[in-house]
Amino acid sequence: MPYRVYQKPWFVKTVFYACSFVILLVGGITYRNISDLSQASDLVTHTYKINVELEQIFSYLKDAETGQRGSIITNDAQYLEPYYSGRENINNSFVELRELTKDNPKQIENLKELNKLIDVRMACFQKSYSFYAATDMNNPKFKENFLAGKNAMEAVRNKIKEMILLENKSLEAQQVELHKNLKVTPIFLYFVLLMALLLMYGAYAKIASNLKRLKKSNMQLEMFKESTNLSEIVSNHGNWIWNVEEDTYIYSDNLYRLLGEEPHAFLPSLEKFMEFVHPKDVKKLNKAVEKMMASENLPFTYFRVVHKSGKVRHLKAFAKKVVNSEGKTQLIGTTTDVTEEIKSFKLLEQRNHELERNNKELQAFNYVASHDLQEPLRKIQTFLSRLEDKESENVSETSLKYIDRIKTAATRMRLLIDDLLQFSRTNKADKAFEKSDLNLLLEDAKQDLAEVISKEKAVIKANELPNIKVIPFQFQQLFINLIGNSIKYKSETRTPEINIAYSKIRAVDEPKIKKKKGSYHKFTFTDNGIGFDNTYAKKIFILFNRLHNKDEYSGTGIGLSICKKIVENHKGFIFAEGQPGIGATFTVYIPLK
Amino acid sequence: MQKDYIHIILADDDEDDRMFFTDAFEELKIGTKVKTFNDGVYLMDYLNAEDCNLPHVLFLDLNMPRKSGLECLNEIKANSKFNDIAIAIYSTSASEEDIEKTFVQGANIYIKKPSSFKTLKKVLSEVVTTNWQYHTNGLNKDNFLLRL
Amino acid sequence: MTVYLKFDFHAVCKKVLEDSLQAHDIKYNLTGFGEVELLQKLSPDKKQDLADTLQAYNIEIVENQKSVLVQKIKDTIIDMVFNEDTEVNVKTSAYLADTLDHSYGYLSNLFSEITYTSIENFIILQKIEYAKQLIIKNNLSLTEIAFKLNYSSVAHLSTQFKKTTGITPSAFQRIISKRREISQQQ
Repeated sequence: MPYRVYQKPWFVKTVFYACSFVILLVGGITYRNISDLSQASDLVTHTYKINVELEQIFSYLKDAETGQRGSIITNDAQYLEPYYSGRENINNSFVELRELTKDNPKQIENLKELNKLIDVRMACFQKSYSFYAATDMNNPKFKENFLAGKNAMEAVRNKIKEMILLENKSLEAQQVELHKNLKVTPIFLYFVLLMALLLMYGAYAKIASNLKRLKKSNMQLEMFKESTNLSEIVSNHGNWIWNVEEDTYIYSDNLYRLLGEEPHAFLPSLEKFMEFVHPKDVKKLNKAVEKMMASENLPFTYFRVVHKSGKVRHLKAFAKKVVNSEGKTQLIGTTTDVTEEIKSFKLLEQRNHELERNNKELQAFNYVASHDLQEPLRKIQTFLSRLEDKESENVSETSLKYIDRIKTAATRMRLLIDDLLQFSRTNKADKAFEKSDLNLLLEDAKQDLAEVISKEKAVIKANELPNIKVIPFQFQQLFINLIGNSIKYKSETRTPEINIAYSKIRAVDEPKIKKKKGSYHKFTFTDNGIGFDNTYAKKIFILFNRLHNKDEYSGTGIGLSICKKIVENHKGFIFAEGQPGIGATFTVYIPLK
Repeated sequence: MQKDYIHIILADDDEDDRMFFTDAFEELKIGTKVKTFNDGVYLMDYLNAEDCNLPHVLFLDLNMPRKSGLECLNEIKANSKFNDIAIAIYSTSASEEDIEKTFVQGANIYIKKPSSFKTLKKVLSEVVTTNWQYHTNGLNKDNFLLRL
Repeated sequence: MTVYLKFDFHAVCKKVLEDSLQAHDIKYNLTGFGEVELLQKLSPDKKQDLADTLQAYNIEIVENQKSVLVQKIKDTIIDMVFNEDTEVNVKTSAYLADTLDHSYGYLSNLFSEITYTSIENFIILQKIEYAKQLIIKNNLSLTEIAFKLNYSSVAHLSTQFKKTTGITPSAFQRIISKRREISQQQ
C-alpha cells in the first residue's frame, strides 16, 4: 500500500508543494523572530535613550544649581550661563522625552510630575537668585528657600530614579516575553526543517527510482528501435505515420532508403514522396491517396518508384487508421519493397505460361498423333482385309505370311494408338463432376467388358458402392481398366476372380496415405491373377512401363497410367500390391470432400 | 416401287471411306440405293432441295470441311421435314462422352469406322436391318439408339 | 410444350382399319390382329382402292401366304412380349409352333427368309423395345424391369440391352432424359 502511494504520479507533486509550504513557514517564523530581536534591541535603545535624557535633565539641573551657586559665591555673572542655558536644555530634553514616552501613559504622567518638580526647583533658583540680587542673603527666607531648593532637587532625583526604574522594569518584562518566544522557535524550526528534509529525501528517492526506470525503458526502447530499424532493413520495408489532424508525416529511416535516400534526407511530405513515384504510377497512386484521405484507410497498393540513380523499384503500401493514446487520429502504414517478389512472380508466371503452353502442345500433339494416326492405320487395316478376302488366291504363300505380319503389327499399333488417345482424353479440364451411383458405373464397366468377362468366365464380386461426386466416364474407365487388367493378367490355372470392396476410412488409420487429414472412400480391387513383385509396385503406374514382354501379354503400359491419372483428377491416391503367383490388389482412395 | 429399295446417303470427305462404304453395300446384296457427298454443304444442298428423295438412313462423318457432321445433324434435327430419317454418325473415334453428346443431339446410330472390311459389312447390314425393323414394325423411333 | 404419348398400336390400327373398311362400304369381320375376314368378294378395282387407302397409313395388304404367316409370327411375338397377361412360362418356340400350327424349324426358316433376321433376334428386339419404354417411364428399377421381362438377372438384361443397342440401359436413360431437358428448354 505505501509503496503504491509512493508510486503514484501525484506523490512528487505533493512533496514539492509540502516542501514549498514548509520553507515558506520557516521563512515566516524566522522573519518574525528577527523582527522580534530587532524590536528587543529597539526597546533597549529606547530605554537607554530615556534614561540618558533623564540623566541629562538631572545634570542640566545640577549645572544650573552649580552655576547659580558659583555666581553667587564669586559674584561673577558669567557663572550664571549654565543656569540660563539649563532651562532651555531641559526643555529640549523634555521634548525628546515626550516623543520617546508617548506610548507609555504612566511615564507621561511621571514626566508631567517631573516637569512640575523641575519647575518647583527652577522657581527656587529664581527666588534664591532674587535674594542674591537684592543681597539679602542673610534673610532667613533665603536659607529657607535654599533648603526648599535642596528638597526639590531631592524630589527630582527621586522622580528620575523612579522613572528609570520603571523604564528598566518594563524593558525587563518585555525582554522576558521576547526571550520566551525566542527560546521555543528554534525547536519548532528544527522539527519543521527535519520534516522538510524527510519529505525531500522521499521525493528524491522517488525521482531517482523513476529516473532509473526511465533510463531502463529508454534503453529498451532504444534497443527496440534499433531492432526495428534492422528488421526494416532486412525485410525491406519502411513504416510511416500520417497525423491526420496536423497533416504531418513521420517516416522511418528505412523508408528513406526505400526511396534511395539517406535517412531524414528531406522533410517528409506527400508532395516530396510523389516526386519519387514512377511517372506512370503517379495517377494511380494519387487516386489511392485520395481514397486514403477520404476513408482514412489504404488497402494494398502497388506502385513503382524511381531512385535518383534511375533505379526502378516496386513498392507495396498498406495503412490502417488508429487512434493513439493522446486521442489523435493517425494512419499507420508500411511500405514494402516487393521488387524481388514481383521479379520472381513474373518469372514464375512466365514459367507457368511456358509449362501450360508445353502441356497444351503436348496434349494437342498427343491427340493429333493418336486421333489422326487412326485414320491411315484403319485404312491400312481395311485394305489388308480386302487384300486377304479378295486376293488371297493371287498372292504367294510368303506374301500371305507377310500380310499376316503386317496385320499383327497394325493391330498392335492400333492398340497403342487407342490407349494413347484414351490417355490424352483423361484430363480434368472441362470435365464435370457429377453425383453418380458407382454401382451403375461398375455395371456399365462390366457391360463394356462383357465379351472378355464371358470368354474368361471371370467372376466379379462387389460390395455395395456409394453414390459420390465423380467424373462419371472417367470413373467407369477406371473400373474398366482395373478389371480388364486383372483379367488380362489372370493365372493360367484359375478362373479370374475379382473382389471389389468399399469402405469409408480416416486418413490417420491408413499407413499408405501420407497426408494424415480428412476421410476417404477406399476401394480395393483384389484378384487371383499372376500378381507381381512388390518392387515394381510404383513402376507399373508409369506411362509405357510394362512388367511383361509384349509377346506374352498384349499390354501397352498405358492402362494403369490412365488409372493413376483418373484417380489424381479426383484428388485421390492409387496403390498396387502384388504377390507373385497369388494375385494383386489395387487400392484407390478418393477424398470424401 | 421405290419401296423395294432402302435409300441410303453418306456424307464423308474421305474418298477411300466412300469407296469402302459403297463397296460394302454392293457386296451385301440388300436392296439399297447409296448416294455419297463430299461434305456437309453438298449434303444439305441436296436435302433442302424441293423434290429431294429423302433417305431412310443418313450416314454422317463428323470431321468434314466447310460443314461438319454435327452442324448437319443440328440442321436436320431443327427441320421437321427430316423427322423420318434415321441418322447414323460414321466417324473414326470419339470419347464415350462425345458419343453420348451426339445421341443427345439427336443421332440414332453411332458407328465407329471399323478397321476391317468384313466388320464394316456386318455393321452396315445391322444398321439397315435394325432400321428396317423400326420401319416395318412401327416401333417408336425416338427410342432408336444404336451403337456399333 | 411437349407431351408424351403412349400408343396402343392394336387399338390404333384397329380403328384405322375399321374406318377404312366402312368408308369403302365393305362388310367385314375382324378375326385377329392383322387379319380381316371380308364378308363379300371384292372386284380388283375396289380391292385396289382399299389397298390405296390403307397404304396412306402404311398398312399393306399382304397377299403372299408366306408373308401372312411371318406377320402372324410377329403378331404372336409382340403379343407375347407386350401383353403382360400372356403366359410366358412356356418356351417361345413351343408356343409359336403350337399357336401357328407349324413346326418351329419351318417358321424359323420362313421368318429369316422374309425379314433378314431370326425369330430369336426379333424377340430380343421386341423385348428390348419394351424395356426401353419401361425405362423411359422411369418409375421402374432395372431389377423390376428384368423381372417383368422374364430375365434371370439385371446383368442378363443389361448385357442383352448393350448387345442389341450398343449402349447400356443407364446410358440410354441418360441420353433420353437429356434430350427431354433440351426440348423443354426450347
